Amino acid sequence: MTRLKDPRAPKSPAMSRRGFLVSTAGTTVAFSFLAACSPGSGEAESDGEATSAPDVTYEPIKWFTIDSAGIVTINIIRAEMGQHVGTALARILADELEADWADVRINHVDSDPKWGLMVTGGSWSVWQTFPLYSQAGAAGRQALIEAGAAKMGVAPGDCSARAGEVICGDQKVSYGELVAGGIEKTFTEEEIGSIAIKPASERRLIGEPVQARDIAGKVDGTAMFGIDAKVDGMVYARPVMPPTRHGSKVNSIDDSAATEIKGYRQAIAIDDPSGTTSGWVLAIADTYPAAIKAADAIKVDWTPGPGADVSEEDILDRARTLISDDSAGSILDTGDVETAAAFEAAAQTIDQTYTCNTVLHMQLEPVNALAVMNGDTMEIHTGNQWQSLVLPWLSQALDMPEEKIVLKTYRLGGGFGRRLNGDYAVPAAIAAKQLGKPVKMVLTREDDSLLDSPRSPAVQRVRLAADGEGKVTGMEQHVAAGWPTKAMAPFFMPNGVNGAPFDPFAINGANHWYAVGPHRVRAIENTLANETFRPGWLRSVGPGFTNWALESFMDEAAHALGKDPVEFRLSLLTGEGRNAGSAPNSVGGARRQHEVVRRAAEKAGWGSELPADTGLGIATSFGQERDMPTWVACVARVKVDRDSGQVTAEKLTLVADAGTVVDPDGAMAQMEGASLWGLSMALHEGTAFEKGRVKDVNLNTYSPLRFGQAPELDISFVDSTEVPVGLGEPATTVVAPAIANAIYDAVGVRLRHIPIRADAVKAALG
Amino acid sequence: MAELKVNGKKVTVDADETTPLLWVLREDLGLTGTKYGCGIAQCGTCTVHIDGQPVRSCTYPVGALSGEEEITTIEGLSEDGSHPVQQAWVEMDIPQCGYCQPGMIMAVAGLLNNTPDPTDEDIDQQVTNICRCGTLARVRKGIHLAKTKKA
Ligand code: FES
Ligand code: FES
Repeated sequence: MTRLKDPRAPKSPAMSRRGFLVSTAGTTVAFSFLAACSPGSGEAESDGEATSAPDVTYEPIKWFTIDSAGIVTINIIRAEMGQHVGTALARILADELEADWADVRINHVDSDPKWGLMVTGGSWSVWQTFPLYSQAGAAGRQALIEAGAAKMGVAPGDCSARAGEVICGDQKVSYGELVAGGIEKTFTEEEIGSIAIKPASERRLIGEPVQARDIAGKVDGTAMFGIDAKVDGMVYARPVMPPTRHGSKVNSIDDSAATEIKGYRQAIAIDDPSGTTSGWVLAIADTYPAAIKAADAIKVDWTPGPGADVSEEDILDRARTLISDDSAGSILDTGDVETAAAFEAAAQTIDQTYTCNTVLHMQLEPVNALAVMNGDTMEIHTGNQWQSLVLPWLSQALDMPEEKIVLKTYRLGGGFGRRLNGDYAVPAAIAAKQLGKPVKMVLTREDDSLLDSPRSPAVQRVRLAADGEGKVTGMEQHVAAGWPTKAMAPFFMPNGVNGAPFDPFAINGANHWYAVGPHRVRAIENTLANETFRPGWLRSVGPGFTNWALESFMDEAAHALGKDPVEFRLSLLTGEGRNAGSAPNSVGGARRQHEVVRRAAEKAGWGSELPADTGLGIATSFGQERDMPTWVACVARVKVDRDSGQVTAEKLTLVADAGTVVDPDGAMAQMEGASLWGLSMALHEGTAFEKGRVKDVNLNTYSPLRFGQAPELDISFVDSTEVPVGLGEPATTVVAPAIANAIYDAVGVRLRHIPIRADAVKAALG
Repeated sequence: MAELKVNGKKVTVDADETTPLLWVLREDLGLTGTKYGCGIAQCGTCTVHIDGQPVRSCTYPVGALSGEEEITTIEGLSEDGSHPVQQAWVEMDIPQCGYCQPGMIMAVAGLLNNTPDPTDEDIDQQVTNICRCGTLARVRKGIHLAKTKKA
């Protein structure tokens, strides 16, 4: 299984002064972050000016500094997009450092090669950062204890550290004082790799309630998002969207109608050698409302690229064709993949197909970027989840070395995977270079939907073989969908056992932890999807659809074999063989999934009497990747109106085992958000391609979950001191199958397509 | 040219009559707390108050204002973040990405102006904002908390 690895060698840290940070902050940029980081917020962005600058700063390793006032500044390379990531990650380091939380500041850094791979997604942040920040904090503690012991004239072994002080008997000395006295000791990444961390029983911050540091600015309007960035002398831009995502060519531009618009300046065609965009024309104006009007008024004649006639049905048909071709796709390594004998010998087989429509990100802040040439450096002010991915595109588009391109850090008005793909930064940067002035490009909601990298429609066939006693003897899952990783990061595609590459993010979830005997999982690229649009990573990506099919199917299989859906799952979650799990990430294996299923069923009152047309449905998931399982189970209670087909989600009961929970309230918020997102995709939102474009481009026809539709949520965590894993996505994947299974329980009809619309339910009821 | 009264101050802006109030606030007056989400009065991120009533500023042309109305944005809701809704929002850690929250807070403050003790049904009817991060369950609890607080 692929994992994102840091491709760059770590550099040695050195003593630094805060003045260094100030000098890299870009002095000609008029915009300042001061408003966004009032001292009380405790969370600064990339500036050094926000706090007064003491003389001496100690940097044991690049991840944090301590100054002579005792202020600990922790560098965060992950994007803040609602998960309070700075708070969670800083708690990990501060705990080991034995810092006083009140003295901790959070610094979201700009892109710089020294940070290595910068990506925020895949529910990886806490899981990936935990060992590193624990050891970085422990290293700092060790150096401070040594310095403190020397100062007090005692042995380091007789000292301890607590709340920003080194203590020996009744003597103590503060971290600030030690830093003021000068500490030389620094650590390399290799050195901290061998430093032991505290036992879980001595944790003081991890797992304790905390107020997220980014809240204050988000309730008084001072939090700065990319769309709020401003520099002197900038012009506004809005694209005239080309007819196809790929390969459109501009033949001519007629802007005569736009010249009437006050503030309109010009129309420019974007020549993008990186191929990130094609056929783009930007309307340039002095104000954004003028740019909006101008883009509407400009007439462009294009030669469209591939996909101009493609519909959703065409894409789904291609998927069906590919699935029926046994030679297509890549077979994942799931142990024994030879299922033919099991199906031949089966007393009973179950075989079903599940589909889902295209879904959009519709993050509320439309994508935007402000590009500024600053001397020989291109500065791009934007919200981005994967800086390391977009930098090479920008380098190629601008014909500039990557070192001369800096992405300035802003808050994201929703990430959900949309901003892993930084495509929107490219045309803004090209325009700024071409015009020789700062360009602030903002997409309208409609433009944003047309440029979106949506979650691909998918078709999946799931089969199961059972013997005469109803024991499962083999299983298959065939999944055809657009492949985001092939479109944007093909270097992250591993090979299957048949030697063919696959997109892990379009198949994860199918390689489950149930004991089913031989298990064949086949990932197939829907070539028509990739030709027509740029498939995206959307909150939970593959498991969002693979688990929809898998967990709907497990329910169908249970009923077909005459078993209770909870009992059936529990009987297969044995935790033996390849499902036993392994240290460090999946200790306990399928037994932990067994436990969340058991608890969720118990909490939700599985098996109790329910009113008419009301039902319970269960589904479970191991989250995003077999390598870092987050065990989740959900029981949905729905009520179905037989006349209209309307499904009301009354309650979702979720139980998660995510190992150690670092920030309990933040973790809870992630579970709430992820489960409501899952519900929205199950019942409310979805679109379709029509002539190569998505047909719903704004919130009048695209209809995510609203207030009255949010059910009661009962969410709990299993107490655990195991490795912390991710929480941003796993709960998304269990809701749709739990809902479909609950509908079956309520009224006896099986829905195999999401979103589940009222008319489909009504039609199924007959 | 249009005269406006925003957060208690009289201002003059050089904007076309048809320009939505949203862009005048964000660009001419630098009040970027009010956000753009859809431009068609669907999402509520752009909600401000006109004479205490919640209004979606993305479809409200400045030409429709006489200059006498009191326009309040998130920046002017309280001087120090102490409006009951803001207090409740901090106490309950409601914002996730935070992008929808200025509009959400203004919509809720407007609801409480009109209906100081709202029921869940009142909330469903009057707060129709979209939050993609999924804070809705907490927002509901936050409203019930805010109505017990004093400025
Ligand atoms: S931007 Fe005004 S309601 Fe969406
Ligand atoms: S908090 Fe992100 S959209 Fe509401």
